[in-house]
Amino acid sequence: MVRLQHHQQSQDKRVYLQYENRQPDETVNYNREHPLKEFAWLFFGLLGVVLVGAMVLGFFGGEIAARVPFSVEKDYARRINEHWENKPRDVEGEAVRAALRELAAKLAAVMNLPQGMSVDVHYSPEGIANAFATLGGNVVFYRGLLEKFDSEDAVALVMAHEIAHAKLRHPAASLGRGIAVGLTLSLVSAAVGERAAGGVLQTAGTLPLLKYSRDQESDADTEALAALAAVYGHVGGARDAFGVMAKLGGGDTPRGPQVNILRTHPLTADRIAAVDRMAAERGWRADGERTPLPLALAKLKLKAAQPAKEIPAPER
Amino acid sequence: MDFILNFLDVFLFFGLLVLGFSVGRWKERRHYKSIREREAKYANILAFAVRYPPDVVTPQDCQLVAGSVVISSDYFKQIVAGLRTLIGGKLSSYESLLDRARREATLRMKEQAQRFGATLVINVKVESTTVSGGTRRGLPAMEVIAYGTALKPRVSPTTQA
Amino acid sequence: MANALLQDNIMVANLEIVPGRRVRSHLGMVQGSTVRAKHAGKDFLAGLKNIVGGELKSYTELMQEARDEATRRMVEQAKSIGANAVLNVRYSATSITVGAAEILAYGTAVVME
Repeated sequence: MVRLQHHQQSQDKRVYLQYENRQPDETVNYNREHPLKEFAWLFFGLLGVVLVGAMVLGFFGGEIAARVPFSVEKDYARRINEHWENKPRDVEGEAVRAALRELAAKLAAVMNLPQGMSVDVHYSPEGIANAFATLGGNVVFYRGLLEKFDSEDAVALVMAHEIAHAKLRHPAASLGRGIAVGLTLSLVSAAVGERAAGGVLQTAGTLPLLKYSRDQESDADTEALAALAAVYGHVGGARDAFGVMAKLGGGDTPRGPQVNILRTHPLTADRIAAVDRMAAERGWRADGERTPLPLALAKLKLKAAQPAKEIPAPER
Repeated sequence: MDFILNFLDVFLFFGLLVLGFSVGRWKERRHYKSIREREAKYANILAFAVRYPPDVVTPQDCQLVAGSVVISSDYFKQIVAGLRTLIGGKLSSYESLLDRARREATLRMKEQAQRFGATLVINVKVESTTVSGGTRRGLPAMEVIAYGTALKPRVSPTTQA
Repeated sequence: MANALLQDNIMVANLEIVPGRRVRSHLGMVQGSTVRAKHAGKDFLAGLKNIVGGELKSYTELMQEARDEATRRMVEQAKSIGANAVLNVRYSATSITVGAAEILAYGTAVVME
Protein backbone atom coordinates (compact mmCIF):
# COMPACT_ATOMS: atom_id res chain seq x y z
CA MET A 1 0.00 0.00 0.00
CA VAL A 2 1.30 3.38 -0.94
CA ARG A 3 0.79 6.26 1.37
CA LEU A 4 1.58 9.89 0.99
CA GLN A 5 2.14 11.57 4.28
CA HIS A 6 1.99 15.27 4.56
CA HIS A 7 2.26 16.87 7.94
CA GLN A 8 1.17 20.21 9.06
CA GLN A 9 1.84 22.30 12.09
CA SER A 10 -1.39 22.63 14.07
CA GLN A 11 -0.88 24.64 17.18
CA ASP A 12 1.56 22.53 19.13
CA LYS A 13 0.66 19.06 17.86
CA ARG A 14 1.90 17.49 14.66
CA VAL A 15 -1.07 16.16 12.71
CA TYR A 16 -0.48 13.64 9.98
CA LEU A 17 -2.69 13.80 6.92
CA GLN A 18 -2.72 10.41 5.37
CA TYR A 19 -3.37 9.88 1.68
CA GLU A 20 -4.06 6.41 0.36
CA ASN A 21 -6.19 4.73 -2.29
CA ARG A 22 -7.91 1.66 -0.91
CA GLN A 23 -9.50 -0.71 -3.40
CA PRO A 24 -13.28 -0.53 -3.00
CA ASP A 25 -15.54 -3.50 -3.73
CA GLU A 26 -15.89 -3.35 -7.48
CA THR A 27 -18.94 -5.58 -7.66
CA VAL A 28 -21.14 -2.94 -6.04
CA ASN A 29 -21.62 -0.99 -9.23
CA TYR A 30 -22.87 -3.70 -11.52
CA ASN A 31 -25.09 -6.70 -11.49
CA ARG A 32 -23.30 -10.01 -11.09
CA GLU A 33 -26.30 -12.01 -12.22
CA HIS A 34 -25.92 -13.90 -15.48
CA PRO A 35 -27.10 -11.60 -18.26
CA LEU A 36 -28.86 -14.45 -20.07
CA LYS A 37 -31.17 -14.85 -17.10
CA GLU A 38 -32.40 -11.30 -17.39
CA PHE A 39 -32.69 -11.64 -21.14
CA ALA A 40 -34.71 -14.84 -20.87
CA TRP A 41 -37.14 -13.27 -18.41
CA LEU A 42 -37.57 -10.14 -20.47
CA PHE A 43 -37.69 -11.74 -23.90
CA PHE A 44 -39.92 -14.70 -23.20
CA GLY A 45 -42.09 -12.65 -20.86
CA LEU A 46 -42.61 -10.05 -23.54
CA LEU A 47 -43.12 -12.74 -26.18
CA GLY A 48 -45.82 -14.31 -24.03
CA VAL A 49 -47.49 -10.97 -23.45
CA VAL A 50 -47.39 -10.22 -27.17
CA LEU A 51 -48.82 -13.64 -28.09
CA VAL A 52 -51.61 -13.51 -25.53
CA GLY A 53 -52.24 -9.85 -26.25
CA ALA A 54 -52.46 -10.46 -29.98
CA MET A 55 -54.82 -13.36 -29.39
CA VAL A 56 -57.11 -11.32 -27.15
CA LEU A 57 -56.94 -8.21 -29.33
CA GLY A 58 -57.45 -10.34 -32.43
CA PHE A 59 -60.48 -11.99 -30.86
CA PHE A 60 -62.14 -8.75 -29.86
CA GLY A 61 -61.09 -6.93 -33.02
CA GLY A 62 -62.59 -9.72 -35.09
CA GLU A 63 -65.76 -10.01 -33.03
CA ILE A 64 -66.41 -6.28 -33.09
CA ALA A 65 -65.73 -5.95 -36.82
CA ALA A 66 -68.00 -8.92 -37.62
CA ARG A 67 -70.81 -7.22 -35.71
CA VAL A 68 -70.69 -4.12 -37.87
CA PRO A 69 -73.85 -4.22 -40.05
CA PHE A 70 -73.20 -5.67 -43.50
CA SER A 71 -74.66 -2.56 -45.15
CA VAL A 72 -71.91 -0.47 -43.53
CA GLU A 73 -69.27 -2.90 -44.77
CA LYS A 74 -70.81 -2.89 -48.24
CA ASP A 75 -70.78 0.88 -48.30
CA TYR A 76 -67.19 0.97 -47.11
CA ALA A 77 -66.22 -1.52 -49.82
CA ARG A 78 -68.02 0.42 -52.56
CA ARG A 79 -64.68 1.32 -54.15
CA ILE A 80 -63.59 -2.31 -54.25
CA ASN A 81 -66.83 -3.22 -55.97
CA GLU A 82 -66.48 -0.39 -58.50
CA HIS A 83 -62.90 -1.36 -59.20
CA TRP A 84 -63.89 -4.86 -60.26
CA GLU A 85 -67.20 -3.90 -61.91
CA ASN A 86 -65.64 -1.25 -64.11
CA LYS A 87 -62.81 -3.40 -65.42
CA PRO A 88 -63.12 -3.62 -69.21
CA ARG A 89 -64.44 -7.03 -70.29
CA ASP A 90 -64.49 -8.74 -73.65
CA VAL A 91 -67.29 -11.06 -74.78
CA GLU A 92 -65.55 -14.04 -73.27
CA GLY A 93 -65.09 -12.30 -69.91
CA GLU A 94 -68.75 -11.31 -69.90
CA ALA A 95 -69.81 -14.91 -70.53
CA VAL A 96 -67.53 -16.30 -67.82
CA ARG A 97 -68.80 -13.75 -65.35
CA ALA A 98 -72.40 -14.62 -66.16
CA ALA A 99 -71.67 -18.32 -65.71
CA LEU A 100 -69.96 -17.68 -62.37
CA ARG A 101 -72.85 -15.54 -61.16
CA GLU A 102 -75.34 -18.21 -62.12
CA LEU A 103 -73.35 -20.77 -60.17
CA ALA A 104 -73.10 -18.38 -57.20
CA ALA A 105 -76.86 -17.84 -57.21
CA LYS A 106 -77.43 -21.61 -57.24
CA LEU A 107 -75.14 -22.09 -54.23
CA ALA A 108 -76.28 -19.01 -52.30
CA ALA A 109 -79.83 -20.34 -52.47
CA VAL A 110 -78.87 -23.26 -50.19
CA MET A 111 -76.40 -21.37 -47.98
CA ASN A 112 -78.86 -19.34 -45.88
CA LEU A 113 -77.18 -15.96 -46.36
CA PRO A 114 -78.28 -13.51 -43.66
CA GLN A 115 -80.96 -10.96 -44.49
CA GLY A 116 -79.64 -8.12 -46.65
CA MET A 117 -76.39 -9.87 -47.60
CA SER A 118 -75.54 -10.26 -51.24
CA VAL A 119 -72.47 -11.58 -52.99
CA ASP A 120 -70.96 -9.98 -56.09
CA VAL A 121 -68.83 -12.33 -58.14
CA HIS A 122 -66.16 -10.87 -60.41
CA TYR A 123 -63.89 -12.40 -63.00
CA SER A 124 -60.39 -11.32 -63.87
CA PRO A 125 -58.71 -12.67 -67.01
CA GLU A 126 -55.27 -12.75 -65.34
CA GLY A 127 -53.24 -15.92 -65.12
CA ILE A 128 -52.97 -15.98 -61.32
CA ALA A 129 -54.21 -19.28 -59.91
CA ASN A 130 -56.33 -17.78 -57.17
CA ALA A 131 -59.77 -16.81 -55.98
CA PHE A 132 -60.60 -14.67 -52.97
CA ALA A 133 -63.42 -13.05 -51.03
CA THR A 134 -62.96 -9.52 -49.81
CA LEU A 135 -64.93 -6.82 -48.00
CA GLY A 136 -68.48 -6.10 -49.04
CA GLY A 137 -69.23 -9.61 -50.29
CA ASN A 138 -66.99 -9.23 -53.34
CA VAL A 139 -65.63 -12.52 -54.64
CA VAL A 140 -62.98 -12.54 -57.36
CA PHE A 141 -62.01 -15.48 -59.57
CA TYR A 142 -58.91 -15.42 -61.76
CA ARG A 143 -58.67 -17.15 -65.11
CA GLY A 144 -55.53 -18.90 -63.92
CA LEU A 145 -57.53 -20.89 -61.38
CA LEU A 146 -60.72 -21.43 -63.39
CA GLU A 147 -58.94 -23.11 -66.30
CA LYS A 148 -57.57 -25.78 -63.97
CA PHE A 149 -60.97 -27.32 -63.13
CA ASP A 150 -62.61 -30.19 -65.00
CA SER A 151 -66.14 -30.10 -63.56
CA GLU A 152 -68.69 -27.64 -62.24
CA ASP A 153 -68.55 -29.41 -58.87
CA ALA A 154 -64.96 -28.36 -58.31
CA VAL A 155 -65.63 -24.73 -59.25
CA ALA A 156 -68.68 -24.86 -57.00
CA LEU A 157 -66.58 -25.95 -54.01
CA VAL A 158 -64.30 -22.93 -54.41
CA MET A 159 -67.27 -20.63 -55.04
CA ALA A 160 -69.15 -21.93 -51.99
CA HIS A 161 -65.97 -21.56 -49.94
CA GLU A 162 -65.63 -17.90 -50.91
CA ILE A 163 -69.35 -17.23 -50.39
CA ALA A 164 -69.00 -18.81 -46.95
CA HIS A 165 -66.19 -16.33 -46.14
CA ALA A 166 -68.55 -13.50 -47.01
CA LYS A 167 -71.44 -15.10 -45.10
CA LEU A 168 -69.35 -15.55 -41.95
CA ARG A 169 -68.01 -11.97 -42.31
CA HIS A 170 -64.43 -13.20 -42.44
CA PRO A 171 -62.95 -10.29 -44.46
CA ALA A 172 -64.32 -7.80 -41.94
CA ALA A 173 -63.12 -9.87 -39.00
CA SER A 174 -59.62 -10.17 -40.51
CA LEU A 175 -59.48 -6.44 -41.08
CA GLY A 176 -60.57 -5.73 -37.50
CA ARG A 177 -58.01 -8.17 -36.16
CA GLY A 178 -55.30 -6.85 -38.41
CA ILE A 179 -55.89 -3.30 -37.27
CA ALA A 180 -56.10 -4.15 -33.57
CA VAL A 181 -53.02 -6.37 -33.55
CA GLY A 182 -51.04 -4.37 -36.10
CA LEU A 183 -51.40 -1.08 -34.25
CA THR A 184 -50.45 -2.56 -30.91
CA LEU A 185 -47.52 -4.46 -32.36
CA SER A 186 -46.09 -1.45 -34.12
CA LEU A 187 -46.29 0.49 -30.85
CA VAL A 188 -44.48 -2.28 -28.99
CA SER A 189 -41.79 -2.72 -31.61
CA ALA A 190 -41.25 1.03 -31.81
CA ALA A 191 -40.80 1.08 -28.04
CA VAL A 192 -38.13 -1.63 -28.25
CA GLY A 193 -36.41 0.69 -30.72
CA GLU A 194 -34.35 -1.90 -32.53
CA ARG A 195 -35.39 -3.03 -35.99
CA ALA A 196 -34.65 -6.74 -35.86
CA ALA A 197 -35.98 -7.19 -32.33
CA GLY A 198 -39.15 -5.33 -33.27
CA GLY A 199 -39.42 -7.57 -36.32
CA VAL A 200 -39.25 -10.67 -34.16
CA LEU A 201 -42.04 -9.42 -31.93
CA GLN A 202 -44.08 -8.50 -35.01
CA THR A 203 -43.60 -11.98 -36.41
CA ALA A 204 -44.58 -13.54 -33.09
CA GLY A 205 -47.63 -11.29 -32.85
CA THR A 206 -48.92 -12.39 -36.24
CA LEU A 207 -48.91 -16.09 -35.27
CA PRO A 208 -52.29 -15.81 -33.52
CA LEU A 209 -53.63 -14.04 -36.61
CA LEU A 210 -52.56 -17.01 -38.72
CA LYS A 211 -54.37 -19.30 -36.32
CA TYR A 212 -57.54 -17.26 -36.76
CA SER A 213 -57.03 -17.34 -40.51
CA ARG A 214 -56.74 -21.15 -40.56
CA ASP A 215 -59.85 -21.43 -38.43
CA GLN A 216 -61.69 -19.24 -40.93
CA GLU A 217 -60.60 -21.47 -43.78
CA SER A 218 -61.80 -24.60 -41.98
CA ASP A 219 -65.16 -22.97 -41.20
CA ALA A 220 -65.54 -21.89 -44.81
CA ASP A 221 -64.68 -25.41 -45.98
CA THR A 222 -67.40 -26.86 -43.75
CA GLU A 223 -70.00 -24.47 -45.11
CA ALA A 224 -68.88 -25.11 -48.68
CA LEU A 225 -69.14 -28.88 -48.27
CA ALA A 226 -72.68 -28.59 -46.93
CA ALA A 227 -73.62 -26.42 -49.92
CA LEU A 228 -71.98 -28.85 -52.33
CA ALA A 229 -73.85 -31.80 -50.82
CA ALA A 230 -77.14 -29.89 -50.97
CA VAL A 231 -76.77 -28.89 -54.64
CA TYR A 232 -75.07 -31.91 -56.21
CA GLY A 233 -76.00 -34.69 -53.81
CA HIS A 234 -72.34 -35.61 -53.15
CA VAL A 235 -69.08 -33.88 -52.20
CA GLY A 236 -66.87 -35.32 -54.93
CA GLY A 237 -66.15 -31.79 -56.20
CA ALA A 238 -64.19 -31.06 -53.04
CA ARG A 239 -61.82 -33.91 -53.80
CA ASP A 240 -61.22 -32.52 -57.31
CA ALA A 241 -60.78 -28.94 -56.14
CA PHE A 242 -58.31 -29.80 -53.39
CA GLY A 243 -56.51 -32.07 -55.81
CA VAL A 244 -56.00 -29.11 -58.11
CA MET A 245 -54.83 -26.95 -55.17
CA ALA A 246 -52.37 -29.60 -54.06
CA LYS A 247 -50.92 -29.58 -57.58
CA LEU A 248 -50.71 -25.80 -57.53
CA GLY A 249 -48.56 -26.01 -54.42
CA GLY A 250 -50.97 -25.95 -51.54
CA GLY A 251 -53.06 -22.84 -51.30
CA ASP A 252 -52.25 -19.17 -51.35
CA THR A 253 -48.73 -19.31 -49.98
CA PRO A 254 -46.60 -21.68 -51.98
CA ARG A 255 -43.50 -20.26 -50.26
CA GLY A 256 -42.75 -21.26 -46.73
CA PRO A 257 -42.29 -24.53 -44.94
CA GLN A 258 -44.98 -27.15 -44.67
CA VAL A 259 -45.59 -26.30 -41.05
CA ASN A 260 -49.16 -25.67 -40.07
CA ILE A 261 -48.45 -22.94 -37.51
CA LEU A 262 -46.78 -20.63 -40.04
CA ARG A 263 -49.49 -20.73 -42.69
CA THR A 264 -52.64 -18.77 -43.48
CA HIS A 265 -54.40 -21.89 -44.76
CA PRO A 266 -54.54 -25.41 -43.33
CA LEU A 267 -52.43 -27.94 -45.23
CA THR A 268 -54.27 -29.23 -48.29
CA ALA A 269 -53.80 -32.84 -47.14
CA ASP A 270 -55.50 -31.95 -43.86
CA ARG A 271 -58.34 -30.30 -45.74
CA ILE A 272 -58.90 -33.41 -47.86
CA ALA A 273 -58.86 -35.55 -44.72
CA ALA A 274 -61.42 -33.20 -43.19
CA VAL A 275 -63.68 -33.67 -46.24
CA ASP A 276 -63.64 -37.45 -45.83
CA ARG A 277 -64.25 -37.20 -42.12
CA MET A 278 -67.14 -34.80 -42.48
CA ALA A 279 -68.71 -36.74 -45.31
CA ALA A 280 -68.69 -39.85 -43.14
CA GLU A 281 -70.10 -37.95 -40.15
CA ARG A 282 -72.94 -36.30 -41.96
CA GLY A 283 -73.78 -39.13 -44.31
CA TRP A 284 -72.86 -37.31 -47.52
CA ARG A 285 -71.88 -39.34 -50.52
CA ALA A 286 -68.17 -38.90 -50.94
CA ASP A 287 -68.30 -39.37 -54.68
CA GLY A 288 -70.80 -39.17 -57.49
CA GLU A 289 -71.29 -38.17 -61.09
CA ARG A 290 -69.75 -34.80 -61.89
CA THR A 291 -71.74 -32.05 -63.53
CA PRO A 292 -69.98 -30.79 -66.67
CA LEU A 293 -68.54 -27.29 -66.72
CA PRO A 294 -70.80 -24.47 -67.88
CA LEU A 295 -70.14 -23.60 -71.53
CA ALA A 296 -68.16 -20.41 -70.88
CA LEU A 297 -65.84 -22.16 -68.41
CA ALA A 298 -65.40 -25.15 -70.70
CA LYS A 299 -64.32 -22.79 -73.49
CA LEU A 300 -61.83 -21.20 -71.12
CA LYS A 301 -60.33 -24.56 -70.34
CA LEU A 302 -60.19 -25.51 -73.98
CA LYS A 303 -58.42 -22.29 -74.84
CA ALA A 304 -55.87 -22.90 -72.11
CA ALA A 305 -55.15 -26.31 -73.57
CA GLN A 306 -54.83 -24.88 -77.10
CA PRO A 307 -51.19 -23.74 -77.20
CA ALA A 308 -50.13 -27.31 -76.47
CA LYS A 309 -51.82 -28.43 -79.69
CA GLU A 310 -49.97 -25.85 -81.74
CA ILE A 311 -46.63 -27.50 -81.19
CA PRO A 312 -45.59 -28.47 -84.71
CA ALA A 313 -45.81 -32.17 -85.36
CA PRO A 314 -42.54 -33.91 -86.18
CA GLU A 315 -41.88 -34.06 -89.90
CA ARG A 316 -42.55 -37.31 -91.62
CA MET B 1 -33.91 -21.18 -48.44
CA ASP B 2 -37.41 -19.72 -48.75
CA PHE B 3 -37.90 -20.42 -45.10
CA ILE B 4 -34.83 -18.36 -44.22
CA LEU B 5 -35.92 -15.51 -46.48
CA ASN B 6 -39.43 -15.44 -44.99
CA PHE B 7 -38.09 -15.16 -41.49
CA LEU B 8 -34.95 -13.20 -42.22
CA ASP B 9 -35.67 -10.81 -39.37
CA VAL B 10 -35.89 -13.64 -36.88
CA PHE B 11 -32.67 -15.28 -38.06
CA LEU B 12 -30.83 -11.96 -38.20
CA PHE B 13 -31.99 -11.16 -34.69
CA PHE B 14 -30.88 -14.41 -33.11
CA GLY B 15 -27.66 -14.49 -35.11
CA LEU B 16 -26.64 -11.03 -33.98
CA LEU B 17 -27.80 -11.82 -30.47
CA VAL B 18 -25.60 -14.89 -30.17
CA LEU B 19 -22.64 -13.09 -31.76
CA GLY B 20 -23.10 -10.03 -29.55
CA PHE B 21 -23.49 -12.08 -26.42
CA SER B 22 -20.55 -14.41 -26.91
CA VAL B 23 -18.02 -11.96 -28.31
CA GLY B 24 -19.25 -9.10 -26.13
CA ARG B 25 -18.97 -11.19 -22.98
CA TRP B 26 -15.54 -12.45 -23.92
CA LYS B 27 -14.35 -8.89 -24.55
CA GLU B 28 -15.86 -7.66 -21.31
CA ARG B 29 -14.06 -10.34 -19.32
CA ARG B 30 -10.79 -9.56 -21.06
CA HIS B 31 -11.27 -5.85 -20.41
CA TYR B 32 -12.01 -6.39 -16.72
CA LYS B 33 -8.91 -8.56 -16.42
CA SER B 34 -6.80 -5.85 -17.99
CA ILE B 35 -8.42 -3.18 -15.83
CA ARG B 36 -7.61 -5.10 -12.63
CA GLU B 37 -4.04 -5.66 -13.72
CA ARG B 38 -3.48 -2.02 -14.53
CA GLU B 39 -5.25 -0.88 -11.38
CA ALA B 40 -2.67 -2.87 -9.45
CA LYS B 41 0.11 -1.46 -11.61
CA TYR B 42 -0.91 2.15 -11.06
CA ALA B 43 -1.78 1.71 -7.39
CA ASN B 44 1.10 4.04 -6.56
CA ILE B 45 -0.63 6.92 -8.32
CA LEU B 46 -3.18 8.29 -5.91
CA ALA B 47 -6.30 9.99 -7.16
CA PHE B 48 -8.72 12.02 -5.08
CA ALA B 49 -11.81 14.02 -5.69
CA VAL B 50 -10.83 16.69 -3.18
CA ARG B 51 -10.57 20.28 -4.28
CA TYR B 52 -7.78 21.41 -2.04
CA PRO B 53 -4.20 20.27 -2.33
CA PRO B 54 -2.31 18.92 0.65
CA ASP B 55 -1.27 21.76 2.83
CA VAL B 56 2.45 21.54 2.16
CA VAL B 57 4.97 24.25 1.97
CA THR B 58 7.14 22.96 -0.84
CA PRO B 59 6.17 24.44 -4.19
CA GLN B 60 4.47 21.97 -6.47
CA ASP B 61 4.43 21.60 -10.23
CA CYS B 62 1.04 20.88 -11.53
CA GLN B 63 -0.37 19.65 -14.73
CA LEU B 64 -3.82 18.85 -16.02
CA VAL B 65 -4.06 15.14 -16.81
CA ALA B 66 -6.95 13.48 -18.56
CA GLY B 67 -7.96 10.07 -19.79
CA SER B 68 -10.90 9.29 -21.96
CA VAL B 69 -12.54 6.36 -23.67
CA VAL B 70 -15.45 5.91 -26.05
CA ILE B 71 -17.19 2.62 -25.43
CA SER B 72 -20.08 1.05 -27.23
CA SER B 73 -22.59 -1.51 -26.18
CA ASP B 74 -22.80 -4.87 -27.86
CA TYR B 75 -25.96 -6.03 -29.61
CA PHE B 76 -27.03 -8.26 -26.75
CA LYS B 77 -26.80 -5.52 -24.14
CA GLN B 78 -28.63 -3.18 -26.45
CA ILE B 79 -31.51 -5.63 -26.88
CA VAL B 80 -31.77 -6.37 -23.16
CA ALA B 81 -31.79 -2.62 -22.49
CA GLY B 82 -34.41 -2.09 -25.20
CA LEU B 83 -36.66 -4.74 -23.69
CA ARG B 84 -36.03 -3.40 -20.22
CA THR B 85 -37.10 0.13 -21.14
CA LEU B 86 -40.55 -1.27 -21.93
CA ILE B 87 -41.18 -2.20 -18.33
CA GLY B 88 -38.66 0.05 -16.61
CA GLY B 89 -36.29 -0.83 -13.80
CA LYS B 90 -32.59 -1.35 -13.54
CA LEU B 91 -30.74 -1.43 -16.87
CA SER B 92 -28.11 -3.75 -15.47
CA SER B 93 -26.76 -4.59 -18.92
CA TYR B 94 -25.39 -1.07 -19.26
CA GLU B 95 -24.12 -0.81 -15.70
CA SER B 96 -21.04 -2.92 -16.25
CA LEU B 97 -20.37 -1.08 -19.51
CA LEU B 98 -20.23 2.30 -17.80
CA ASP B 99 -18.29 0.84 -14.88
CA ARG B 100 -15.65 -0.37 -17.34
CA ALA B 101 -15.55 2.95 -19.14
CA ARG B 102 -15.07 4.95 -15.92
CA ARG B 103 -12.31 2.74 -14.63
CA GLU B 104 -10.60 2.72 -18.02
CA ALA B 105 -10.71 6.53 -18.24
CA THR B 106 -9.36 6.86 -14.70
CA LEU B 107 -6.53 4.47 -15.52
CA ARG B 108 -5.58 6.44 -18.62
CA MET B 109 -5.55 9.59 -16.53
CA LYS B 110 -3.21 7.92 -14.03
CA GLU B 111 -1.03 6.76 -16.90
CA GLN B 112 -0.63 10.36 -18.00
CA ALA B 113 0.11 11.44 -14.45
CA GLN B 114 2.85 8.84 -14.24
CA ARG B 115 4.38 10.09 -17.47
CA PHE B 116 4.40 13.55 -15.90
CA GLY B 117 6.18 12.05 -12.92
CA ALA B 118 3.48 12.68 -10.36
CA THR B 119 2.08 10.29 -7.81
CA LEU B 120 -0.89 12.38 -6.77
CA VAL B 121 -3.89 13.56 -8.78
CA ILE B 122 -6.44 15.73 -7.06
CA ASN B 123 -9.75 17.34 -7.91
CA VAL B 124 -10.61 14.42 -10.19
CA LYS B 125 -13.76 14.92 -12.23
CA VAL B 126 -15.49 12.16 -14.15
CA GLU B 127 -17.95 13.03 -16.86
CA SER B 128 -19.89 11.03 -19.43
CA THR B 129 -21.42 12.11 -22.70
CA THR B 130 -23.32 10.18 -25.31
CA VAL B 131 -21.47 10.27 -28.60
CA SER B 132 -24.34 8.84 -30.57
CA GLY B 133 -26.30 12.06 -30.51
CA GLY B 134 -28.78 10.74 -28.04
CA THR B 135 -31.21 9.35 -30.57
CA ARG B 136 -32.83 6.00 -30.08
CA ARG B 137 -31.68 4.66 -33.38
CA GLY B 138 -28.18 6.05 -33.09
CA LEU B 139 -25.19 4.11 -32.05
CA PRO B 140 -25.33 3.69 -28.30
CA ALA B 141 -21.83 4.90 -27.50
CA MET B 142 -20.64 6.80 -24.45
CA GLU B 143 -17.57 8.86 -23.89
CA VAL B 144 -16.24 8.92 -20.38
CA ILE B 145 -13.51 11.36 -19.44
CA ALA B 146 -11.64 11.54 -16.16
CA TYR B 147 -9.44 14.53 -15.50
CA GLY B 148 -7.69 16.13 -12.61
CA THR B 149 -4.55 17.98 -11.60
CA ALA B 150 -1.38 15.99 -11.13
CA LEU B 151 0.99 17.38 -8.51
CA LYS B 152 4.70 16.78 -8.04
CA PRO B 153 7.17 18.60 -5.85
CA ARG B 154 9.01 21.23 -7.86
CA VAL B 155 12.53 20.36 -8.74
CA SER B 156 14.80 23.32 -9.32
CA PRO B 157 16.38 23.50 -12.79
CA THR B 158 19.86 23.12 -11.40
CA THR B 159 19.20 19.81 -9.67
CA GLN B 160 17.35 18.55 -12.72
CA ALA B 161 20.33 19.14 -14.94
CA MET C 1 -1.71 17.47 -24.51
CA ALA C 2 1.20 17.56 -22.14
CA ASN C 3 3.90 18.50 -24.62
CA ALA C 4 1.99 21.30 -26.28
CA LEU C 5 1.29 22.93 -22.96
CA LEU C 6 4.79 22.75 -21.65
CA GLN C 7 6.09 24.42 -24.77
CA ASP C 8 3.66 27.25 -24.28
CA ASN C 9 5.01 27.57 -20.79
CA ILE C 10 1.54 27.97 -19.43
CA MET C 11 0.35 25.95 -16.48
CA VAL C 12 -3.07 24.39 -16.78
CA ALA C 13 -4.83 22.91 -13.76
CA ASN C 14 -8.32 22.34 -12.52
CA LEU C 15 -7.39 23.56 -9.05
CA GLU C 16 -8.30 26.87 -7.52
CA ILE C 17 -5.23 26.91 -5.31
CA VAL C 18 -1.85 25.66 -6.38
CA PRO C 19 0.24 24.50 -3.43
CA GLY C 20 3.19 26.68 -2.69
CA ARG C 21 2.37 29.26 -5.33
CA ARG C 22 0.38 32.43 -5.14
CA VAL C 23 -1.84 34.07 -7.70
CA ARG C 24 -0.76 37.65 -8.31
CA SER C 25 -3.63 38.72 -10.56
CA HIS C 26 -6.81 37.29 -12.07
CA LEU C 27 -7.23 38.17 -15.74
CA GLY C 28 -10.64 36.71 -16.48
CA MET C 29 -12.22 33.73 -18.12
CA VAL C 30 -10.70 32.07 -21.15
CA GLN C 31 -12.18 29.34 -23.25
CA GLY C 32 -11.51 27.19 -26.26
CA SER C 33 -13.99 25.13 -28.13
CA THR C 34 -14.26 23.01 -31.23
CA VAL C 35 -17.02 21.16 -33.00
CA ARG C 36 -16.16 17.81 -34.53
CA ALA C 37 -18.15 15.44 -36.67
CA LYS C 38 -17.64 11.74 -36.91
CA HIS C 39 -15.85 10.53 -39.98
CA ALA C 40 -18.26 8.72 -42.27
CA GLY C 41 -15.97 5.75 -42.86
CA LYS C 42 -15.20 5.47 -39.18
CA ASP C 43 -18.88 5.63 -38.39
CA PHE C 44 -19.56 2.71 -40.68
CA LEU C 45 -16.89 0.61 -39.00
CA ALA C 46 -18.16 1.70 -35.62
CA GLY C 47 -21.60 0.46 -36.67
CA LEU C 48 -20.14 -2.98 -37.26
CA LYS C 49 -18.25 -2.77 -34.02
CA ASN C 50 -21.52 -2.12 -32.30
CA ILE C 51 -22.53 -5.76 -32.70
CA VAL C 52 -19.75 -7.02 -30.46
CA GLY C 53 -19.30 -3.88 -28.36
CA GLY C 54 -16.16 -2.60 -26.71
CA GLU C 55 -14.02 0.47 -27.14
CA LEU C 56 -14.41 2.51 -30.32
CA LYS C 57 -10.77 3.50 -30.64
CA SER C 58 -11.30 5.83 -33.58
CA TYR C 59 -13.88 7.77 -31.60
CA THR C 60 -11.66 7.87 -28.54
CA GLU C 61 -8.90 9.41 -30.67
CA LEU C 62 -11.34 11.79 -32.30
CA MET C 63 -12.59 13.07 -28.96
CA GLN C 64 -9.06 13.33 -27.62
CA GLU C 65 -7.93 15.37 -30.62
CA ALA C 66 -10.93 17.62 -30.17
CA ARG C 67 -10.16 18.10 -26.49
CA ASP C 68 -6.51 18.88 -27.24
CA GLU C 69 -7.64 21.41 -29.81
CA ALA C 70 -10.03 23.05 -27.35
CA THR C 71 -7.32 23.19 -24.69
CA ARG C 72 -4.84 24.66 -27.16
CA ARG C 73 -7.30 27.37 -28.10
CA MET C 74 -7.99 28.16 -24.46
CA VAL C 75 -4.26 28.43 -23.78
CA GLU C 76 -3.90 30.70 -26.81
CA GLN C 77 -6.52 33.00 -25.34
CA ALA C 78 -4.75 32.96 -22.01
CA LYS C 79 -1.41 33.85 -23.65
CA SER C 80 -3.02 36.69 -25.59
CA ILE C 81 -4.02 38.38 -22.35
CA GLY C 82 -0.66 37.84 -20.74
CA ALA C 83 -1.46 35.03 -18.34
CA ASN C 84 1.00 32.33 -17.32
CA ALA C 85 -1.53 29.88 -15.92
CA VAL C 86 -5.13 28.80 -16.36
CA LEU C 87 -6.78 27.59 -13.19
CA ASN C 88 -10.01 25.80 -12.37
CA VAL C 89 -10.26 24.36 -15.88
CA ARG C 90 -13.42 22.45 -16.79
CA TYR C 91 -14.23 20.34 -19.81
CA SER C 92 -17.64 19.85 -21.23
CA ALA C 93 -18.91 17.95 -24.25
CA THR C 94 -22.32 18.22 -25.84
CA SER C 95 -23.62 16.47 -28.90
CA ILE C 96 -25.11 19.08 -31.19
CA THR C 97 -26.66 16.87 -33.82
CA VAL C 98 -26.35 13.20 -34.53
CA GLY C 99 -22.68 12.54 -35.14
CA ALA C 100 -21.32 15.94 -34.11
CA ALA C 101 -20.10 17.11 -30.74
CA GLU C 102 -18.84 20.35 -29.26
CA ILE C 103 -15.94 20.12 -26.89
CA LEU C 104 -15.45 23.09 -24.61
CA ALA C 105 -12.56 23.88 -22.27
CA TYR C 106 -12.77 26.90 -20.00
CA GLY C 107 -10.97 28.27 -16.99
CA THR C 108 -9.61 31.34 -15.27
CA ALA C 109 -6.51 33.01 -16.66
CA VAL C 110 -4.15 34.18 -13.93
CA VAL C 111 -0.64 35.44 -13.42
CA MET C 112 1.24 33.42 -10.81
CA GLU C 113 4.35 34.25 -8.93
